[in-house]
Amino acid sequence: MAEVRYEAASRIYPGTEIPAVNALDLDIADGELLVLVGPSGSGKSTALRMLAGLETVNKGSIFINDVDVTLKPPQDRDIAMVFQNYALYPSMTVAENMGFALKQAGVSKEQRRAQVVEAARILDLEPYLDRKPKNLSGGQRQRVAMGRAIVRSPQVFLMDEPLSNLDAKLRVQTRTELADLQARLGVTMVYVTHDQVEAMTMGHRVAVLKDGLLQQVDTPRELYRRPANLFVAGFIGSPAMNLITVPVVDGAAQLGGLSVPLPDDVRAEVARRGLDEIIFGARPEHLALADVGASGEVAVVEELGSEAYIHVRVVHGQETEDVVVRVGGETAVKRGDQVSFGIAGATHFFDPGGDRLDGE
Amino acid sequence: MSSAITEHRDETEHADHADEVRRLERREGWNRRLPILPALIFTIVVTQIPFLFTLFYSLTDWRIDTPEPREFIGFENYGALPDDKFFRDAAWVSVQMTVLAVLLSLIVGTALAILLDRKFFGQGFVRTLLITPFLVMPVVAGFLWKSQMFSATFGVLNWVLELFGFESIEFATKYPLASVVVVLVWQWSPFMMLIVLAGLQGQDTSVLEAARVDGATTVGIFRQITFPQLRPYLELGTLLGAIYLIQVYDHIDVITGGSPDSKNLPFYIAQRSIGGGNRFGLASSYSIVVVIASIIIANIGLRVLSGLLEDDS
Repeated sequence: MAEVRYEAASRIYPGTEIPAVNALDLDIADGELLVLVGPSGSGKSTALRMLAGLETVNKGSIFINDVDVTLKPPQDRDIAMVFQNYALYPSMTVAENMGFALKQAGVSKEQRRAQVVEAARILDLEPYLDRKPKNLSGGQRQRVAMGRAIVRSPQVFLMDEPLSNLDAKLRVQTRTELADLQARLGVTMVYVTHDQVEAMTMGHRVAVLKDGLLQQVDTPRELYRRPANLFVAGFIGSPAMNLITVPVVDGAAQLGGLSVPLPDDVRAEVARRGLDEIIFGARPEHLALADVGASGEVAVVEELGSEAYIHVRVVHGQETEDVVVRVGGETAVKRGDQVSFGIAGATHFFDPGGDRLDGE
Repeated sequence: MSSAITEHRDETEHADHADEVRRLERREGWNRRLPILPALIFTIVVTQIPFLFTLFYSLTDWRIDTPEPREFIGFENYGALPDDKFFRDAAWVSVQMTVLAVLLSLIVGTALAILLDRKFFGQGFVRTLLITPFLVMPVVAGFLWKSQMFSATFGVLNWVLELFGFESIEFATKYPLASVVVVLVWQWSPFMMLIVLAGLQGQDTSVLEAARVDGATTVGIFRQITFPQLRPYLELGTLLGAIYLIQVYDHIDVITGGSPDSKNLPFYIAQRSIGGGNRFGLASSYSIVVVIASIIIANIGLRVLSGLLEDDS
């Protein structure tokens, strides 16, 4: 199929100074499902549209299979795109929608019909082929948009938040189907979403963007295990990682009554740069209630059944910080209780500028 | 026993409540009707009452140039109509003029709308300039074209013709119908342009982008995606344009003075009565026939149009 490569690709919208996508370098392997994730305004959709040829690339270049497509119009790139609102052709039936690209390419009517029926079979759309888009449900429209893409067997699939108009239950179901379809077809897919859960569950690798800059690109597990900076640490994982600015005393981070000894490489880096304050990060699932440790009053208990998240108000120097701790579902903790917690898993340390202190 | 009493009480409370709802609904109805009442009364006074008078006049031999009193003659006026060649001619001119003017102004308006539906420097200014012909009074437009454009002596068109070595032509005399239609198209294209522009700008841009990604050319996108989506707007333009253009009078009067090839039904009927013919009874009967024919044609037209619309919705 196809490999995709962004080489220092930038998009600067007319009338603005700051690039919407800033010198993006990204390699996407053949058959990979790469997810671009970030908050709104991070440039993830723009990056996708640059690959589609719908946005001008102001600097840098984009390659598909080592062919420079930077200046090619969309129709010459052999890509298919699924839009957030599906962008179905309202005056055409489902079959005509799905066969549209083939018709433009001059494929014969019989051949077209055969390919459309085949795609409809994969997507369970056969009963709806003669309907107009407005007579379909949201989930069916989404599948037609998918069908329009797969009928062509393009080099690259581009997905611009294709699930965000579905309701929560259908979204989760379609998410799985989509990932399965991608794996079965073995196509290269670039998938844009603002939802980090979607990114983590679907992506072979996930690229995190913020303000047009690539923050980190790695497998979901590595992103979770080793976020490269404060932004990724806070963005990936649900509920979010606790990130607290803490003083360093005698090679240990001090949080309330808890003293967290720094790993050797972090301690060396802190000493080298003479930092006396760092940002300490720990996910709620890596903290646990303990007899000794940081202590505070329980402000909120979020009961989820199988587990619960308790927000502990820790007095920390002059300030108070809410620290979220995951506990088992049956724990008898309620609002107003005094609890203590300690470390029960991975810890992360960032410098005040937000970069990870160990390695890289 | 006690349960029966409760039931009974419930029923009475229920009935009281229903009365209250009815009262509220009645008041709500009047709240809606009241604001449109003045407009409704005004419309009835200025259109329906004169129509009833016309209906009455059409059954008389009323003419104002002879001293004889108005006499009731039944359907005699209507009987004269089939033999009136001038009426048939005028009807044919009406059809040609309306169809040509509506179609041509739709085509020109659509072309202008497509040109305007893209960003360029001075877009607002150009759009305003393009709308101006629609704002010119019909009589003024007629005079403007007759004296400045069509005239054999001073006209711009003839100046251009002579520049290329052709003989000058008295357009309004030689091509009366075409001359009137040209001015109508000049005036009505901006109206069609505005309607089509609304349709173009109401399009979902991602649909157009999807078509580009799917490999369609610019012409292909217009033909396969944009045009089907514009159809309701084109139909609306046709309907509104036809309603106005079937009753053209001013342009004809000014440009050709109602020469036979450019005399439509409204002009002919006016000529027969207030325009000097003075046969008010006869002209009234013609008006009634035209109104009935218009209603029939409009109904067929609307049904066809709404059929097309339903097919799409």
